[in-house]
Amino acid sequence: MSLNHTHPSPQPPARVVVLGAGGFLGRHFVQSLADGDIPVLALGSGEIDLSDAAAGAELKRRLQPSDALLFLSALTPDKGRTSATLMKNLAMARAVIEAVQAIDVAHLVYASSDAVYSFADPLISEATPSVPSDLYGAMHRTRELMLANEVKSPLALLRFSAVYGDGDTHNSYGPNRFIRQALKEGCISLGGDGEETRDHVYIDDAVALLKSVVMRRSTGMLNVVTGHSASFRSVAESVAAMAGRPVAIQATPRQSPITHRSFDIVNLIRAFPNMRFTPMQEGIAATIARTAEKASG
Amino acid sequence: MNAPVVGFAGMTHLGLISSSAVAARGFEVVCFDSDAALIERLRRQEWPILEPGFAELVRGNGKQQRFTSAATELAGCDVVYVAPDVPTDDQGRGDIAGLTRLIGDVVSAMNSTAVMVVLSQVPPGFTRALRVLPPQRLYYQVETLVFGIAVERATKPERYIVGCADPLAPIEPRFAAVLGAFGCPILPMRYESAELAKISINFCLTASVSVANTLAGLCERIGADWSEIAPALKLDRRIGLYAYLSPGLGLSGGNLERDLATVQRLAAAAGSEAGIVNAWLRNSTHCRNWPLRQIYERVLSRQDCPTIGILGVTYKENTHSIKNSPAVALIRELTSCTLRVFDPAVTASANWHSRMTVAEDPLAACDGIDALVIATPWPQFRALKPAELTRRMHGRVVIDPYSILERSAARAAGLEHIVLGAPQPVGAT
Repeated sequence: MSLNHTHPSPQPPARVVVLGAGGFLGRHFVQSLADGDIPVLALGSGEIDLSDAAAGAELKRRLQPSDALLFLSALTPDKGRTSATLMKNLAMARAVIEAVQAIDVAHLVYASSDAVYSFADPLISEATPSVPSDLYGAMHRTRELMLANEVKSPLALLRFSAVYGDGDTHNSYGPNRFIRQALKEGCISLGGDGEETRDHVYIDDAVALLKSVVMRRSTGMLNVVTGHSASFRSVAESVAAMAGRPVAIQATPRQSPITHRSFDIVNLIRAFPNMRFTPMQEGIAATIARTAEKASG
Repeated sequence: MNAPVVGFAGMTHLGLISSSAVAARGFEVVCFDSDAALIERLRRQEWPILEPGFAELVRGNGKQQRFTSAATELAGCDVVYVAPDVPTDDQGRGDIAGLTRLIGDVVSAMNSTAVMVVLSQVPPGFTRALRVLPPQRLYYQVETLVFGIAVERATKPERYIVGCADPLAPIEPRFAAVLGAFGCPILPMRYESAELAKISINFCLTASVSVANTLAGLCERIGADWSEIAPALKLDRRIGLYAYLSPGLGLSGGNLERDLATVQRLAAAAGSEAGIVNAWLRNSTHCRNWPLRQIYERVLSRQDCPTIGILGVTYKENTHSIKNSPAVALIRELTSCTLRVFDPAVTASANWHSRMTVAEDPLAACDGIDALVIATPWPQFRALKPAELTRRMHGRVVIDPYSILERSAARAAGLEHIVLGAPQPVGAT
């Protein structure tokens, strides 16, 4: 279970179509292509509501066989954790499949999540069995299986760990929320004492890796992770140190057991041996600077 | 009773070593292989294996040990060992087709009273299913050959494990005479028990190595040092002085992998729990990738297209075998690097890597490189002086899983010296 490159060296696709172009990853990715020579069709929910019954036909109308199609859209847990959200997410995947079955695109890249793994195994690789513990993880795993079973186009499944950086729309627990809390309230609230460790990927690195996958027309599966996990407390301390104002870090009564998650990135090294990840301190500093810049500008 | 004449069929590693050890005990030994070209090389004393002490052992045997490609010469033997090494595939599955054919040929060539002993690596159930000879003339004997120290183990065995049709019946006198010449305990048991005993030994070794690998990996991250812990464990009687407690780069060589695959297959068919095998295999894969992770962390993530020196390509020291060699796997992985490679016994194949130079000696492999990996613990690498490495290398990273270099000397020479199970400098994986 790893990633293989169709092109030995980077080769731009005829066009990139981005589904979920209004989301955190999608916006940054589209922005990164803005200065390049690759034509982009950026589609957000405003352009196509993938959960709509007619979405498949509508997407089909817009696709060309030479396209690289990036499927980055999903309703994240902050939009709901219920079975209704699950079914809506699956309907979105069904629409993509319907379109791609009609227009065999040159490359399909699906942005999945490390939520497909359970917390029972603290060191994860692509070979780790997918045993999701919630509907969000089950949704991503189901979408992966739907695409793998029903799509003929060359397919890359990228399982992203927690991505952070400026412009995150989710406010999920971790660096982004900590930065917001620090800049706005001067106080970061931890779950318990923030003992859990997670692998946080800086948005620019996530985009760079996504771009590499598109340029090499890679197929297979890859965890998009740095290989370095940090505790939420250490992340909060880094944020507090760089916030430019006094920041208190508050522990709260623990609501759930402590879990850890680390990744073995050997397959990522094999696929992209020269990939360089932004150290957490630098990523946090850049996020704070960009967030402050946007707030002032 | 005259001293029995002993035959050996199959002149690969196992047959060569075992036959030579029996001849060294004063028995007349006939060494048969149908490969006439191989037999000619053996007669010229051109050995296809690398084992310390082997050439001297055979030389000392003189006319007691002779090589032949004529199966008919086995007719004069009282005891005939069938001892070809069983090849394994990428999944660790043994291919016993060649062994089965050879057994048929040997049965045809043996005299009507001779005893056959299967010495090759076979799965449980193999010997009883043969039905080629009356049970009292068919035995299975466990081999415990270890590459690199095979001569010592064959000439001074710890014990003999003998698979019999009926373990309560006395061992056939001529076979018993051969075994008795070595003066070690003899343990007769059912065929199936002996066949599984061989696998059981390898399971215990795998368990020990997996313990060492698991805890050495933890040591690297929490400031402990496995080299300090292992000696303490060996003084515990329940563990033992000779326990396999050195961490390594995963299972290699093919034998342990073969036995794990055999048990996985048998357990699946029998509905027996064997989940630990999967855990060992996963641990092995993780350990095999240790040098790649280190190179990424310390070199590849900082520098484009570095030049890496690799010392050693065999799967362990004192052997020519590259079966499942971690060093070869690493060479194949380093596609974005230029390589300089040296091994004392094997010349690296150009098929392994497109930008690889084979160096003439260890120091030549270090000239101008950005990082060095001492991938096989050949004893001669211990003579390398860290200060000389510093002088020759462009970079300072030395990935030395087996701690071939003296650690304090390496540090003193300014090397970033990375050892399995030792606390790692900041930034290590």
